[in-house]
Amino acid sequence: MKNNIKIERARHNLTQQDLASRIGVSRQTINAMESNKYVPSTVLALKIAALFKLTVEEIFLLEEND
Amino acid sequence: MKTTLLLPSRYKKIGILMFIPSLILGILVRFNDFAFDFLTLKDGHSYVKSKPLNFDEVINFTDEMALTGIIVALLFIAFAREKQEDEFIGRLRLESLQWAVLVNYILLLLATWLIHGFSYIDVMMYNMLTILIFFILRFHVLLFRNRSSITD
Repeated sequence: MKNNIKIERARHNLTQQDLASRIGVSRQTINAMESNKYVPSTVLALKIAALFKLTVEEIFLLEEND
Repeated sequence: MKTTLLLPSRYKKIGILMFIPSLILGILVRFNDFAFDFLTLKDGHSYVKSKPLNFDEVINFTDEMALTGIIVALLFIAFAREKQEDEFIGRLRLESLQWAVLVNYILLLLATWLIHGFSYIDVMMYNMLTILIFFILRFHVLLFRNRSSITD
């Protein structure tokens, strides 16, 4: 699964730490998601989408091997 | 995400503070036959009914205290919440536990075939603690790696 977290974060001018504290996770979690090492839970995906005022599908995209 | 069965994060420090003296006591008991006099029970048979297993009248509880201290300290360190325990940290925790169980039993199998006789009692003794130790080490290595790979 790919995601646009890094792009959306840049668009909203947020650091990893800013985003982490807004959705109540550690900075490592944001970093792991951005580097595609971690697929977040549905709850966390919805929180991220809500923060960026987008749908989940606009941020998280399936890849061919998923 | 709510993580159950974890202790408040200050228990990590308490655990480390408990571990050091308990380990020293354990080493002294194991290699120097050290014993606190005040932990001696004169009439051992009244405490342990099964006489064949209990050769001595006198039982000393220094070793029990050392092992209890070490186990409780390791449990505190292992299961203290991280300052920011979230779902990703929780996953690292579970992966580390799985890794620790696997490594522990691989080493136990190796030791079973390579170490014989009375020395095997040592293997079993250390094996009581290694699962927790491997877990703690693995978990903290993963945490450290993830922290140091942070790019912004």
